[in-house]
Amino acid sequence: MSDKKNVLKIKNLVKSFGDVKALDNINLEINEGEWVAIMGPSGSGKTTLINILSLMDDISEGEFTLAGDDASSLSEEEKVVFRREKIGLIFQQFHLIPYLSAVENVMLAQYYHSVTDEEEAKKVLTKVGLGHRLEHLPSQLSGGEQQRVCIARALINEPEVLLADEPTGNLDEENEKIVLSIFKDLHKEGKTIILITHNPELGKHADKVLMLKHGKVDKG
Amino acid sequence: MVANKMFFNMIFKNIFVRMNKTLIILLSIVVGAAIISSFSSIYFDISVKMSKELRAYGANFFIGKHDINSKDNIYISDYKKALSYIDKEKLVGASPLIYGMVRLDLGNAVLGGIDFKQAKKINPFWQIEGSWINVAFDKNNCMIGKTLAKNMELKVGSKVTVKSLKTNFNKKLTVKGIIDSGQAEDNQIFVNFDFAGEILDTKDTFNFAMLSVMYDGDSINTLAKQINKNVPDLKAKPIRKVSSSEGKILNKIKGLMAIIALMILVITTLCVSTTLISSVAERSREIGLQKAIGAKNSDITKQFLVENAIVTTIGIIIGLIVGYFLAQLMGKAVFGSSIEMRIQVIPITFIISFCASMIAALLPIKKVLQILPANVLRGE
Repeated sequence: MSDKKNVLKIKNLVKSFGDVKALDNINLEINEGEWVAIMGPSGSGKTTLINILSLMDDISEGEFTLAGDDASSLSEEEKVVFRREKIGLIFQQFHLIPYLSAVENVMLAQYYHSVTDEEEAKKVLTKVGLGHRLEHLPSQLSGGEQQRVCIARALINEPEVLLADEPTGNLDEENEKIVLSIFKDLHKEGKTIILITHNPELGKHADKVLMLKHGKVDKG
Repeated sequence: MVANKMFFNMIFKNIFVRMNKTLIILLSIVVGAAIISSFSSIYFDISVKMSKELRAYGANFFIGKHDINSKDNIYISDYKKALSYIDKEKLVGASPLIYGMVRLDLGNAVLGGIDFKQAKKINPFWQIEGSWINVAFDKNNCMIGKTLAKNMELKVGSKVTVKSLKTNFNKKLTVKGIIDSGQAEDNQIFVNFDFAGEILDTKDTFNFAMLSVMYDGDSINTLAKQINKNVPDLKAKPIRKVSSSEGKILNKIKGLMAIIALMILVITTLCVSTTLISSVAERSREIGLQKAIGAKNSDITKQFLVENAIVTTIGIIIGLIVGYFLAQLMGKAVFGSSIEMRIQVIPITFIISFCASMIAALLPIKKVLQILPANVLRGE
């Protein structure tokens, strides 16, 4: 038994859309500093699971504990607060605000979290290798650079969990390597990472892999 | 402070990045505010303007005796006392009149004593052949009604003998002007009021007075009540035909303006609302992201309202300036004079336009609140 703090726990989780069970009897336990990969083909329930884990969707049945709190009992307002305090989100399509510079996009997460600190935002961007692109707009950045801004934005408030949805899905091989190396560094630093991916290369580095198929854990 | 900097940075960048939509909203607000400010300026000024216009149609206030059939004249001192209750700025003209029968060369006629200077102001519609009697001490000239002049075979410059039936006054007067009023005056002969008192032996008394005053609706009734209370020997009353039609016309014009302003306000509100709804649709991904990274519904609502408030305030300021010129344009076109911009027009325009714009934002904000981050970030 690990002596590390439990960050996330789901037990017998079911998510239904009408009569259709998108997720059925999912169990998962993630400890602090673990890298977990959630893998599976399209339609296997990966996105539904990450929406639940990021508190953007509710569970139908089961238990869901996040950072020690019962996430299923939180109100909508509490979920927003919980998300901004404890979760860092990384998206496949980056989702940067087009009219804000790289540093401003990072500061936006600070703004909703507490207070903006430009120096801190610049430091995190430098850490992901964008120290020279601080004032650039997303349209002036490559896909890989945009994804790194997205990672910096997820990291800025020092969340307990990093949730990444296909972070290399839209990147070329070279940028994929850069992003992978950032994740490796973050893992070394002790960050808890939950990664949804099709990419076996990313899955290979995970401590734990949850393979989904038709909404169920594929034990095969 | 730093948080505010970020907040306003986002707001201003958003406004500029969506300049087309911002301009549509701005233009709608400018039009709405300009109409409200110009119409309310005219609304406040119209009573004065209309009264001035309608004063061209003759007297609208009467002061006379209680019993119209009484042969007793009333005293000019009472008339002067009554005049003291009338605001000088609202008094266009006032003249006491004294009437009596006189004998002219070819027959009897009614002679009227009048203050010609005032009569000119009260009856601007009188058409005069020749000229008015200009001075109150003129005892050599008279003015004569068109019909009477024709019957008595008199022209401008003719001499006519006026013989009093009460005194031994008998003097040849020169016809200085011929009056065409289209009314009873066409059958009468007029001399200065004091001179008529000598001819008719009615010194310091008069039969009645006609006044032209710029009071409308209820205020003219209040004036009459005030005079009747304080000068009990006189009977003061508005001439209904003129004063009530003034009120009716004013109310109709004000009502029409209110309807037009309301319609424009509704159109402005709809225009702002639809533009904001389309802006919400365009920004749904951005709003979804903001919610995903920790923005509460109240944060997004605040952002939308402040954005809208900034554009609205700029629109209202421009609208007030445009409205001022629009009011002048309408004032010149309709009344031939400028419209005074009253201070209360500014808060009225601001409050109405601001409320309309905020009401317009309600439905778009409802749509903002319905945005689910998971759906928009998935691209649904």
